[in-house]
Amino acid sequence: MSSALPVVGRLDVGLPVHISVHKSGGRDVWSAPLESAPEDAVQATWDALNEVLDPEIPISLPELGLVYGVEVEGGVATVSLTYTATACPCMEFIREDITDRLISESWIDSVELVELWDPPWTSERITPEGRAKLKLLGVSA
Amino acid sequence: MSDALDPAKMGTADKAALERLILTLADSKRLMGIRYSDWLLGAPSIETGIAASSMAQDEWGHARLLYSMLKDMGIDPGPVEHDRQAEEYASIGSLDEEMPDWAALVAAIVLVDGAISVVLSSFATGSFESARGRVPKMLSEEEFHSSLGAAWYRRLAAAGGEAKELLTAATKSILPPTLAWVGAADDSTGRMVAAGVIAPAEDRLATFRGAAREFTALVGIDIDAVDATPEWDGARGRTPGHPNEEAVQRARGDLNRALFVE
Repeated sequence: MSSALPVVGRLDVGLPVHISVHKSGGRDVWSAPLESAPEDAVQATWDALNEVLDPEIPISLPELGLVYGVEVEGGVATVSLTYTATACPCMEFIREDITDRLISESWIDSVELVELWDPPWTSERITPEGRAKLKLLGVSA
Repeated sequence: MSDALDPAKMGTADKAALERLILTLADSKRLMGIRYSDWLLGAPSIETGIAASSMAQDEWGHARLLYSMLKDMGIDPGPVEHDRQAEEYASIGSLDEEMPDWAALVAAIVLVDGAISVVLSSFATGSFESARGRVPKMLSEEEFHSSLGAAWYRRLAAAGGEAKELLTAATKSILPPTLAWVGAADDSTGRMVAAGVIAPAEDRLATFRGAAREFTALVGIDIDAVDATPEWDGARGRTPGHPNEEAVQRARGDLNRALFVE
């Protein structure tokens, strides 16, 4: 691939490489980390994810139907997820919120996110609990 | 559905053909997004401009997912997205210039965005695993583009007068390079057909003509009587020419090269 364009080095203009300065909302509802490793790490991971709200809609990522699967092995939590749209502007927020929530647990050493597009997300994936909360907010889905 | 293709086991020529196919689709998506964005302001209504904004967003999301498929072949998509010259773009020739009026954009939604979806539909059911997993979401988002384009095409055609004249002129202009792109049958495309990555040219063309026929008929154009642009650049998989420089500068993000965060 030819490239005659000038290669401009990244300027230090204060932009962080990891944009975690941009915290999304909802972190105030996060519980304190568990004091010890849970018996059921997968369920505990789901419980933690249920506290991570979508940055635009105040229901959790599992309630919105974005989380496709959770595995925990050897301190590594693997979360399979999707997004509502291919150009979702909140992808980075969601990645950081999931990672920050899970990594706060002493029994999780690292978090791996597997981003999937199959099956595609549709509003059909919103859980009954999520729909009920949206209804209270005056949003139909 | 074909058996899954393993890019690691592909020969050099087949790999190059898959890379070219991905680029023709990704570059077309990127340029389609720019053409939508040209009409965020100046569309016939605020609501329509907002729709154009959403569709531009979708197209760039699709482009990003398509470029990322290059990773399957060990290619870093970063330089591909940000470092190429206009002459290296493989986008469909119908998008080389800004749409001169709203009617032209409407024709492009139906005919160009529609044509890209025809090839993507074929890609989604072919043997390339990354396409199987990612393209269905793109196609589901494209359904909204298709609905809006169809409604506007019918509206302008029914309006008659200048609206219909502009729509007719745009349709005539857009069809030949679009037909050439959909019906590409060069060696590179042939390799992808043989590998089960996309459908044969005649099938792609039949699907496209079938979907577009009712619309072109509204402006008195028999799509079956329109010839594809005969010139073809086999290296890039498109008709000769390239997108205008201003569009490519925006596609590459030239003004923000020092500020990329991805």
